[in-house]
Amino acid sequence: MQKEILIVGLNHRSAPIEVRESVAFEASYLREALARLRAYPAIQEGVILSTCNRVEVVAASADGPSASAEIKKFLDEQRARRNAGQLDDHVYAYQGADAVRHVFRVAASLDSMVVGEPQILGQLKDYYSAAQEAGTVGAILHRLFHRAFSVAKRVRTETGIASRAVSVSSVAVDLARRIFDRFDDKTVMLIGAGKMGGLMARHLQSNGARSLMVTNRTFERAVELAGSIHGSPILFEDFPRYLKIADLVIGCTGAPEVLVDAGAVGAILKERKHKPMFFIDIGDRRNFDAEINKLDNAYLYNIDDLQAVANENLQERSNEAEKAEKIVVEEVANFNRWIHSLEQAPTITALRQRFEEIRRNELGKSLGGGLKDLSDRQREALEVMTTAMINKLLHGPISHLKKNAEKEDDESALYSAALKKLFDIEEK
Amino acid sequence: MDVTILKIAALFYLLAGVSFALYVFFQRDIVSKLSPLIVACGFAAHTLALGVHFFQTGYPNVTQFREALSLYSWVMVAGYLIVHFKYRLAVLGSIIAPLAFLMTLAAFAFGTGSEALPPELKTYWLLVHVTVAFLGNAAFALAFGVSLIYLLAERQLKHKKMTLLIKRFPSLETLDRLNYIFLVWGFPLMTLGIVSGSMWAGIHWGSYWSWDPRQITSGIAWLFYGAILHGRTTGLRGRKAAVLTSFGFCVVLAYFFLGDVVFPSRHGGRFD
Repeated sequence: MQKEILIVGLNHRSAPIEVRESVAFEASYLREALARLRAYPAIQEGVILSTCNRVEVVAASADGPSASAEIKKFLDEQRARRNAGQLDDHVYAYQGADAVRHVFRVAASLDSMVVGEPQILGQLKDYYSAAQEAGTVGAILHRLFHRAFSVAKRVRTETGIASRAVSVSSVAVDLARRIFDRFDDKTVMLIGAGKMGGLMARHLQSNGARSLMVTNRTFERAVELAGSIHGSPILFEDFPRYLKIADLVIGCTGAPEVLVDAGAVGAILKERKHKPMFFIDIGDRRNFDAEINKLDNAYLYNIDDLQAVANENLQERSNEAEKAEKIVVEEVANFNRWIHSLEQAPTITALRQRFEEIRRNELGKSLGGGLKDLSDRQREALEVMTTAMINKLLHGPISHLKKNAEKEDDESALYSAALKKLFDIEEK
Repeated sequence: MDVTILKIAALFYLLAGVSFALYVFFQRDIVSKLSPLIVACGFAAHTLALGVHFFQTGYPNVTQFREALSLYSWVMVAGYLIVHFKYRLAVLGSIIAPLAFLMTLAAFAFGTGSEALPPELKTYWLLVHVTVAFLGNAAFALAFGVSLIYLLAERQLKHKKMTLLIKRFPSLETLDRLNYIFLVWGFPLMTLGIVSGSMWAGIHWGSYWSWDPRQITSGIAWLFYGAILHGRTTGLRGRKAAVLTSFGFCVVLAYFFLGDVVFPSRHGGRFD
């Protein structure tokens, strides 16, 4: 009987975090859990995947329905270790092509909470190797996971699913990267010691920014924030004087008035020999004059602009996700073809063997009897001719079998059953 | 023989152009490594074509317009390849490859303009003059390429309408710096080109300056680029620098394509 792939588990959509946590497999227990999973009679191969957004068991089994029930039981037991109740409605189970599709979608980060997030693939690889070490991976899951990894890679390279910033501060850093080549020789000025500004400053620092100035109307708060992000605090009255050394200026004071006007920036740019300046206005109120963006070598983005770019990117991501889904569909079809060719392979081999057997027998009889005076060359020609005949005869049936392997329906089973019966084939 | 090889080179440039377009406009990352290799293949064929021609005739291929065009695109592609392997600037190829293709194509379009080179002109001056002048022009072509990319990227940033295209571009800072670097290389080379050409003319025709149309236009371009370079030291950068650099190259290009047709001259292969 042919093995089938199935997946049973729960994710961020099917179950709340408490439930997911209650069945999560801690790393130290994983090996034992895999051994216990393998001990179930219907399960031949198994991989456990346990992250904060999903707990899933992928298995290969000759008896899908029983295996599915066994995995549910296995998850219930896992939950019982923590004295929690039954899982029931939170668990989903897929079999065959649906299971393959699910695994591919997980690997390609299409099933993630934040679609396109890159961590899941690494986690999948880790759990796969753990199962491999525990000896619970066979030929089927081996192939499945390796295909899943390459699907993920295809999705990553062929679609822009993971390549766009979707939060305001990452969009701002992204834009800054389009203007500046590097941040380690740039100076950042933070006007206002708000939470959002601090976040943005840290984001820039993690991208290489080193020199940071913080100013605030209440000087103490500037000192406080500067202390926590290794910047230098400056007095609010002084900041216009320092503006000329700032390459990135972040405004988030919440003050209702414009703090930096375009005329001043024009003069500063001249003083800076027109080295570019990037103004990021992330307060609720506009702190920077909108005219700044019209100056050469000065760029101004306010919170709405950044949000618009972020939304656009998010939209783009879902467009890219559609492309990715198409890739998944394609790959699932490829994989199914492989699975079904596994089913047909024994029939095909047996059919060939049967014909070859007949050919040899009959040829042997004739060459030993009525045709025994033939020369070596003639014998060889006879050999070639009969082989060619067999191949021609078998070509039709075998290519039909292979073609049917691509479809998953009763017709293909009917064909191979008919062949077996007609030619008296026993599968080994 | 050399013409056939040149056709192969042109074919490679076309292929590279298509491949770069796939990379830049359709985000096919697979071709990003392939495209420069295709350019390199075209360059190899191109080198072979020029080499064969040199062996057959014994002088560099510059006395006819078509030859000049072909040599020019060769130097430009060489410059691009060097820049590419240093800066990994694949997008620049999307401008240089089609340009190289068009130039080699144009080289076929212009028939043979003149007879063989008079023997008294076969001197080392010719080699020096042509080499530096072409190197200088190639640097300006590259400066033109990065300027175009700069203008496109800057526009998108200012208008807050980012297409996927901009993701392929280096930062404005890098583009501006490259523009400057090409200018810094191009200007002295052009200066040397003009000086050596004038020396050559002085030796063979007895006058250093003959108001040849090429001399006039390159004089204008030289002043223009000199002014940009001076501006650079006093704060000219970004969009304005990119616009001026592009304009300067248009002057060079316009003469290159129209000059010999409109004003036949020594540079067009008439040496009497």
